[in-house]
Amino acid sequence: MSKGQARSNRGHGATSVLPAINEDQCYEMRLESIGGLGANLCGKLLGEIGAYRLGLNAAAFSSYGSEKRGSPVKAFVRFCASDREILCNSPVERPHLLALFHHALARTMPVTAGLGKESTAVINTASSPRAARKELSLAASTVYTVDALALARESKSRVNVVMLGAIVRACGFIPLDAAKKQLTDTLGKKYPTMLEANLLGLTLGFERTSFEHFPPDNAPHEMPFEAPTVRWGYENAPIGGINPHFGNSVRNDLSPSRQGVIPLFLPEKCIHCGLCDSTCPDMVFQFTEGEYRGKPAMLNRGLDYLHCKGCLRCVDVCPTEALVRGEEREHGELHHFVYNKDLLVTDIDFTPAGADPTVTGEAYLDEKREDGGWV
Amino acid sequence: MMEKAKQHLLFESGNELAAFAAKQINYHVMGYYPITPSTQIAEYLDEMRVRGEHDIALVPAEGEHSAAGICYGAATGGGRVFNATSANGLLYALEQLPVQSGTRMPMVLNLACRTVSGPLSIKGDHSDLMYTLNTGWLIFFATTPQEVYDLNITALRIAEQVRLPAIVAFDGFFTSHQKQNAQVFTDDRAVRDFVGEPTGNGVLDVEHPITVGSYMNEPDLLNNKYQLHLAMEKAREVIPAVFAEYRALSSRTLSPITTCLAEDADLLLVVLGSAYHTARSAAMKLREQGKRVGVVTLGVLRPFPADELAEACKNAHTVIVADRQDSYGAGGGNLSLELRAALQAAGASTRVLSRVFGLGGRDFFERDALALFAECERQDAPKLDYLGKQAGDTDFHPPAYFAPIREQDASGLTLCREEGGGLTVKGATVRETLARPKRLAPGHGACPGCGIPVNVNLLLRGIEGNVVLLFQTGCGMVVTTAYPSTAFKVPYVHNLFQNGAATLAGLVTLYHQKRARGELPEGDITFVMVSGDGGMDIGMGSALATALRGDRLILFEYDNGGYMNTGYQLSYSTPMGAKSATSHLGEHGFGKRFFHKDMPRIMAATGMPYVATAAESNPNDFIKKAAKAQYYAKNGGTAYLKCLSACPLNWGDVPSTERRVIAAAVDSCYFPLYEVERGITTLNYDPEQSGKKRPVTDFLGMMGRTRHLTGEGYGEVARAIQDEVDRRFRRLQLLSAHPEL
Repeated sequence: MSKGQARSNRGHGATSVLPAINEDQCYEMRLESIGGLGANLCGKLLGEIGAYRLGLNAAAFSSYGSEKRGSPVKAFVRFCASDREILCNSPVERPHLLALFHHALARTMPVTAGLGKESTAVINTASSPRAARKELSLAASTVYTVDALALARESKSRVNVVMLGAIVRACGFIPLDAAKKQLTDTLGKKYPTMLEANLLGLTLGFERTSFEHFPPDNAPHEMPFEAPTVRWGYENAPIGGINPHFGNSVRNDLSPSRQGVIPLFLPEKCIHCGLCDSTCPDMVFQFTEGEYRGKPAMLNRGLDYLHCKGCLRCVDVCPTEALVRGEEREHGELHHFVYNKDLLVTDIDFTPAGADPTVTGEAYLDEKREDGGWV
Repeated sequence: MMEKAKQHLLFESGNELAAFAAKQINYHVMGYYPITPSTQIAEYLDEMRVRGEHDIALVPAEGEHSAAGICYGAATGGGRVFNATSANGLLYALEQLPVQSGTRMPMVLNLACRTVSGPLSIKGDHSDLMYTLNTGWLIFFATTPQEVYDLNITALRIAEQVRLPAIVAFDGFFTSHQKQNAQVFTDDRAVRDFVGEPTGNGVLDVEHPITVGSYMNEPDLLNNKYQLHLAMEKAREVIPAVFAEYRALSSRTLSPITTCLAEDADLLLVVLGSAYHTARSAAMKLREQGKRVGVVTLGVLRPFPADELAEACKNAHTVIVADRQDSYGAGGGNLSLELRAALQAAGASTRVLSRVFGLGGRDFFERDALALFAECERQDAPKLDYLGKQAGDTDFHPPAYFAPIREQDASGLTLCREEGGGLTVKGATVRETLARPKRLAPGHGACPGCGIPVNVNLLLRGIEGNVVLLFQTGCGMVVTTAYPSTAFKVPYVHNLFQNGAATLAGLVTLYHQKRARGELPEGDITFVMVSGDGGMDIGMGSALATALRGDRLILFEYDNGGYMNTGYQLSYSTPMGAKSATSHLGEHGFGKRFFHKDMPRIMAATGMPYVATAAESNPNDFIKKAAKAQYYAKNGGTAYLKCLSACPLNWGDVPSTERRVIAAAVDSCYFPLYEVERGITTLNYDPEQSGKKRPVTDFLGMMGRTRHLTGEGYGEVARAIQDEVDRRFRRLQLLSAHPEL
């Protein structure tokens, strides 16, 4: 889009660009993701496109926390006409467009809350819009799906630029060209070598997204957006923030933080040396008393996969290959799963959680992502 | 009158705009110490520095108190000085604030407001800011990223005109991190012309020697403070004048007080910061329903615009003050108190209700504002209340997940004994200690592959019996104790990281008191402080003093070479040349500019009975040293144990391979394994002798943060690191070979 066009949008009151606005005159997006997929940068790019390319007033921000806490990442984008103000600084509760960067999130978190019948959903999945809508019980009448992971691999870019392409397509008011120009401006100078791949990822996301409109009358029920309530409040919480429930972090289920791989245990190869236990950050290995080669010894009885984050440190140190890397999806039934041996109870209402190595600042994040890992 | 200057659009956050304004002003010096959510300001300035966009000397202090000292020192030489902080960083520096204002040294401090610990929380409220009301600083409050930019420029001008330092405050995260449209001056010159050239060389003017910081008794001190008072009063005139000039330049209006629909309002809401705009939105909707409501906010808190505020409020029947902090026991937050005083001085008898809201960054939605207006219309509304408080579920009785670890459960595996003039340790291998109960529970939120739990577990493997832990602020603390969860199965205390060693020393002292008085049951307890390398920067003084006193405890340092909890800024232990959020690479920067700190040598200089380094790549050596540390903490004095701790996220490497990365640090002698026991240094592992010595670039090349050092253009830095590592190692070899050294 040329500058002239952008200006003419402003001139006519940019609401004409926005396909819908809420009672605060804003068009709102919410991106639901887990750390590492770049939803934060995607939200920033969307904001920049609105501000720099479409002449809109824009706001972009993320759900910030201490970066390693369990919560997945949300990014929020608001647009309004240039002659209006964005007055709300709080999270987007009822998005016009919801983008799900990691569709497995919906299994454990209420990520689709606030999605209305008039909303558009953009889902990163290999499934069809119809299948995704059914699986996720989406109230949205317009559903786009895109296999962002595959397209990111194909273009050698990242999930976030592919999702950006799909969002640009789905929202209907951002010309692809405007998105390309902004991507070039924002990422081109910093990472010139990756620009071509990023532009390809954006284009693939735009082109290879499928969509379907559904009649609103048979839509699944909207999931209302509910503020979290706490079990401990001012009447029953111990004063001073003191926590008498020692070790209760055990009720966190950390499996959502795995990236698709797990250690597999081959007990017949195990020599019970304990090196796995010495390198495991998550107390996954359960050693109890027994006998090994005729002598009393502590024996490795198995893994507590509820608390395994899939770092595979244990696979790297195991001297006998009794621990090997496995694809999690090929092992739905986790053999050698044992509960933490010290637990007094096992009928625990485990809370899905995960380490979340993401967002507090942005200055450094992009660089380290580029570094990836070599050893 | 100034002419309007050319501007353009920037879509940036409050932090970015504060940094951008600082760059345009081109301050002489910024002394800083990272703290969320203000850290980005220094990070962005460092990014701009390596691109050559400004000449500001950025000095990474080892704590906020020193950062304030660096700023003060530079100000005494007539420097233009800049700083940014939040929450406990501000409180740690607080002592310096009246020094700065009392000696009349202008500067600008950005405050990305955040709740003050404890309990520790990183999100925004105004509990930090309100501590500064009595410091003699000018205080401005920005409600948008645009105002952060505008106030950073105008505050400096005002500060220099009345010779007082200035705070530019804004909401942490809501304003500091939210990107919005903002207009900035295209030419830095426009900003520099507006603020004018810096004047005076202060104590650097040797031809006109001055004394800064006199010792002063009565009656002089009272006169000095009266001068400060007069400067504040003068600011009442200077502020509108500067704002008016700025308006001519920018077309934007700044004001000590801003109102929305307030003129004829019966019900007025007074609120600071970003929540003002949410409240405005609510007020506009209520107006459509015919309700006469309005909203007021302040852009200046010092000097307090009492007359203007009273004028705006006196005709309302009720004024609601939404306080984002409480002055506990005073009947509301400080904004409430000052508003009541202003109304009383104006002879108004308006009803004032205080509502404490949004603590710890709790969101303030429009519906909250609507509910607030509705509630306060009622005549029986209480004078003070907390918005959004929750009683909790009194039927909630979570189960006990574990049995407490008894002393005997954790004893009998490892034995330290004095033998033949030395200490022998038995039963301290990985295999022999497998039965030791884990004092940490699973379910903590550390990143996959994080070294901290690995190292804490290895340490506790070697320690017999009861343990009480103290963690200083840092990743280790944040990931283990996210309320209402705790990963600790043994007693645990957190304190802020300049003070952990002293806190544990106090606890140990009490323990021995109680034991001597027979107030504790039989048994023994070992006390361990766990700290990151960041905590050993800011808390080094406290740790050294503890070691010098010989308090009977273990100081355990996990060194991941950076301030990882705040998003990886350089620490004093970061490798030279490493890139970090405050040591970028670029045309004007090669990463961190000085060598990694040799903390064990510093600790050894205290003469403490036991200093050792340990690495997870040598786990048996690690566990043995933990056992020795316990022995000395029981029988000698303070023991210090330091390990290198992997951080996959910020080292930029693969989580699964961290033990190999640590091994490379050991084999390259970057992190030599040795101990200083009763003054005698012993090298426990000499890679040269075992033929495993590798160049230090082998280690550095494994991490994304230092990989560039193995490439072209960084040869000089890599050589300097190698030379320093070799020098330190050679000295260790000599110390190890000569028992008298």
